[in-house]
Amino acid sequence: MTKSQNSSHTETEEPHWIEWATGIASGILVIVMIGWVAKEAWRQTDAPPDLSTRILKTEATSGGFRVEFEILNRSMATAAAVTVHGEIARDEQPVEESDVTFDYVPAESKSTGAMLFKTDPTGQQLTIVPTGYTDP
Amino acid sequence: MTDFFRDDQAEAASSDKLGKFLIGIGRAIAGALLFALPMLMTMEMWALGFYIDRFQLLLLLLVNIPLLVGLAHRIGFEDTFGWREDLRDSAIAFGIGIITSTIILVLLGLLKADDPWHEILGKIAIQSVPASIGAMLGRSQLSGDDDDDEDQEDADGGRETSYAGELFMMAVGALFLSLNMAPTEEMILLSYKMTPSHALVTIVVSIALMHGFVYAVSFKGSHELSSSTPWWHAFVRFTLPGYIIAVLISLYCLWTFERLEDVSATQILMSVIVLSFPGAIGASAARLIL
Repeated sequence: MTKSQNSSHTETEEPHWIEWATGIASGILVIVMIGWVAKEAWRQTDAPPDLSTRILKTEATSGGFRVEFEILNRSMATAAAVTVHGEIARDEQPVEESDVTFDYVPAESKSTGAMLFKTDPTGQQLTIVPTGYTDP
Repeated sequence: MTDFFRDDQAEAASSDKLGKFLIGIGRAIAGALLFALPMLMTMEMWALGFYIDRFQLLLLLLVNIPLLVGLAHRIGFEDTFGWREDLRDSAIAFGIGIITSTIILVLLGLLKADDPWHEILGKIAIQSVPASIGAMLGRSQLSGDDDDDEDQEDADGGRETSYAGELFMMAVGALFLSLNMAPTEEMILLSYKMTPSHALVTIVVSIALMHGFVYAVSFKGSHELSSSTPWWHAFVRFTLPGYIIAVLISLYCLWTFERLEDVSATQILMSVIVLSFPGAIGASAARLIL
């Protein structure tokens, strides 16, 4: 309990046990947080973003075809403005291309997106690759 | 003649009461504007109006109700003594929040008649939360009346705040600053720019500032410890729980504004640490001001 008097407050000298219990539980949580971040600081490397993509599914939409994919960043560095290029090819000849930009692909995280094509990609050579990024 | 006199007096008293109530409403509008304008003029908040998950929005609106009732119990439009008045005051504050947000959104050209309904509703609903908190705080903080703090005083002229009350005020302060900052892209961008070592220092600085604000620096409303109590007593009982409250509120705000999807646990923690920094300042400021 806190007693307020003339706009200044004096903490009571004999607090309830629950105040100590809350304080100690909070202290433990803060220590866990610091420990976790410290472990990350220890693990931290200078490795640049390591991006890879994986096609999830293709489905027809009213205006064409949608290819959903995810982009994974395995490194501990975040990539910003990640451009991804998609291409449908038939007999090594590009038929249709599409591009998409991700604002961020955070460290050790994955983001999902989709590309829209007019050509049906099933049975064709479909490649979706990251083509560049900036450091945030 | 005496009847007439009595009527006159009653009328004067009731018009005085009405005047006081209207002044309260005016202050509430001022408070809503003061606190919600930064958010009303933030681009991400307009976009959130249509893309925020409706479940998260509903939860935010529901969470706001007990928050306002709790605030009303402590401050409110008029000196309140019962939960019924607190509920009434919360309803007024929420209403003023909604009306003020709507007017400003229209004024800024952000709401148009041919916009889809769910977008208009979403934009107003999300802005009404900080505006209603502002309305509630405006009534108490913008008034210079002497009679404001007379309630709840005990025999020796001191006011007692329960431990839960202190933690509640810290939560309100943390929520207030977190709500303002969580929607902006800068919060996640900062967490990407900062290394874990930066985050470690941020945790320590946040906690130190929280404790310093309340106990070391002698602001008006500073908390003092009696000389026989060691400093770490207050640190463990108030500052550490206050920081954890700021952390949890930050986590809640980031989740509400959908900043945590598909992000690794470590990145979530980093964003939470970034947002907890203003949250911690808000929490300690609330202990001093409210």
